Amino acid sequence: MSNATPLLEARNISKAYGNVTALTGIDFRLDAGEIVGLVGDNGAGKSTLVKTLCGAHQPTSGQLLIEGHEVTFSSPKESRERGIEVVYQDLALANELSVAENIFLGREMKRSGLLGRLGTMDRKAMHASAVATLHSLAIEIKSVDARCGMMSGGQRQAVAVARAIMWGSKVLLLDEPTAALAVAESDKIAGLVSGVKDKGVGVILVSHNLPQVHELCDRVVVLLRGRVVTELRRGEYNVDDMVSWITGTALHKK
Amino acid sequence: MGVTEMGGSLPVNEVTTAEAAFEVEEEQRSLEMERRLARRRRFLQRVQQQGLGLVLIIVVCIMWASSPYFMNRYNLLTAASVVSILGIMAVTETLLVIAAEIDISIGGVMALVSVVVGLLVGHGLNIWLAAAIGMVVAALVGAINGIITVFFKINSLVTTLGTFSIATGLAYVLSGTTTVPIVGHGFGFLGSGNIFSIPSTVYFFVAIWLVGAFIARFTTLGRHIYATGDNIDAADRSGIRPNKIRIGLFVFNSLAAGFAGLVVTSELVSSAPQIGDPYLLAVVTAVILGGSSLTGGRGRLSGTLLAVAILGVVQNGFALLEFSSYLQNLVTGCLLILAVLVDQFVRRAEQ
Repeated sequence: MSNATPLLEARNISKAYGNVTALTGIDFRLDAGEIVGLVGDNGAGKSTLVKTLCGAHQPTSGQLLIEGHEVTFSSPKESRERGIEVVYQDLALANELSVAENIFLGREMKRSGLLGRLGTMDRKAMHASAVATLHSLAIEIKSVDARCGMMSGGQRQAVAVARAIMWGSKVLLLDEPTAALAVAESDKIAGLVSGVKDKGVGVILVSHNLPQVHELCDRVVVLLRGRVVTELRRGEYNVDDMVSWITGTALHKK
Repeated sequence: MGVTEMGGSLPVNEVTTAEAAFEVEEEQRSLEMERRLARRRRFLQRVQQQGLGLVLIIVVCIMWASSPYFMNRYNLLTAASVVSILGIMAVTETLLVIAAEIDISIGGVMALVSVVVGLLVGHGLNIWLAAAIGMVVAALVGAINGIITVFFKINSLVTTLGTFSIATGLAYVLSGTTTVPIVGHGFGFLGSGNIFSIPSTVYFFVAIWLVGAFIARFTTLGRHIYATGDNIDAADRSGIRPNKIRIGLFVFNSLAAGFAGLVVTSELVSSAPQIGDPYLLAVVTAVILGGSSLTGGRGRLSGTLLAVAILGVVQNGFALLEFSSYLQNLVTGCLLILAVLVDQFVRRAEQ
C-alpha cells in the first residue's frame, strides 16, 4: 500500500438500524489502480458497507474521505458526482434500449444550435463515442445498436462496467458482478476489471466467487458480524485461508 | 461454490488444444443459434410494424368495394375529421403507455371540461375564457392522476378509473344532465372550421402527432420516457427523474382530453356530460393496436397513426353501410386482440 492519500477512505464507520448494529468501527481504504475484494458471509455487513460507501445509506458515525477530503453523501447521485460508480447486481440497464443508448442514458449528447436547444440528441456522436469506449476496454460487442435485452449476461455486465468507466469514475464498485454468469463470461469480466485497474481506477469487488476474488484482488477485506476481521494481501494466503476467516474459524485458531 | 475443489488460484492459460477447439465449436454453434433467433425476431417485428399497414390497406379495399360513397373526397375528409378527435388523445396516451402508465379517465375529463365550459358560458363568461378555465380543470385532473399514481404507488389503471368516475359523476351533477347551447366568438372553428377545405380537427391531430413523434424519436425527453417505462430503477439511477416525467405525461394527456372535449363541444354547439362516452375505450384501443406495449418501454407513434386511420376507416365504413355500431365494436375488438397476440409472439421470440 502506498503512503499517498488514498482514493477512498472510510474511518471508523458504524451503522445501526435502531438497536441492530450492522457495522462497527470499519476502517477501509482504496488506492488508485487497486482492486480490493470485499468478502463475508451473508449478513456480515457487505451490502451495508457498500450502501454506505455509495451514499444509499448514511453511517451512524465515522468519516468518509475522497482523496483526503471529507465527504457526506445523502444519495447515490451525490457519490456519483464525486466519481464513485456502482455497478449493481441487476445492472440497471434498460432492455429495450441499445448499448449506446444505455451508456448515454441520462447523459445524452445534444446537437448544437437550435435543434439541440429543443432537446434533439446527437445520435451519431453518441454512437461513435460508445464504440470508442468499448474498443478502449477491449469489449467485444457486435454492434452498439444491439438492444441490451438481447444480450448475454456477460455482455450486459460489460456494458454496465463500460458505462461506469466512460463517465470517468475514480472508484468502481462491483456488486456480485459474476454471480449470474457462465464461466467463460465470468473470465471475460475478470479481464475487464484488470483492464480498468490499469487505467488507474480503484475497484471494490464484492463477490462470493472466492477463487476469482483470490485471483483478481490486490487485497481482500474480510467482514464478519459487521467488523473487519482481517485484511489479506495478494500472495500471502490461499482460498482455504479466506474461507476460514469468513466463517470465523480462523479467529479461534489464534 | 466450488471453493474446496479449486483450492487456490487457477492456472488460466493451461487450456489444451482439444478444449480450445471444443470451445470454438461451442461458440460457433451458439452464434449460429443467435443468428437464427435474430432472423425470426426481425421477421415478427416486420409483421408487427407492416401488418398494420396491410390491415389498413385491406379495410380500405373492403370499404371501397362495398360502398360507392366511401372513396369520395368529402367522405374521407369527414372520416378524418371524426377520427382526429380520437387521434389527438391517442398521441399523448401513447407516450403515457410507453412510460408504462395508462390513463382511462380521458372520457370523464372530456365531459367535465365540456360541462364546466357550458356552466361558465351560461353565467355570461366569455367563451374563450371559459375554455381556458376548462383546460385548467383538465390539467388539474391530470396532476391528480399523476400524483396519486406516482407518490402513493397506485396502479394508474386504478387511479384513473377512479378519476374517470369522479369526473363523469361531477359532470352529470354540475350539468343536471342537460345540454347547454354554446355559440359565438368563433368558437365553432375548433370543431367545424376548415382551412383549404380540410377540417380543423385534422390540423390539430397532425400538429400534435408531429410534436409527439418528434419528442419520442429525436429528443432526450423521448429517450427518457422510453427508459422510464422500460426500467424505472435504471432510469432513476441514471439521473433521469422518472416521477417528474410520469406526472408531466399525465398532465399532458389530460390536457389533450380537455382539448378534445372543447373540440367536441364546439362541434355539437353545446356542452353535454355524455360527450366522452364514445372515446372511452377507442383511444386505448388505438394505442394498443398501434403496437405500444402496456408493460412499457415499447411503442411508436407511427403505429398509433396507422391504428387511428384503421379505426377511422372502420367507423366510417360501418356508418356508410348502415351496420350497427355494435358490429363495429366487435371488429375493433378482434383487431385489438390480434394485435396483442402478435406482440406476444414477438416477445416470446426474444426469449
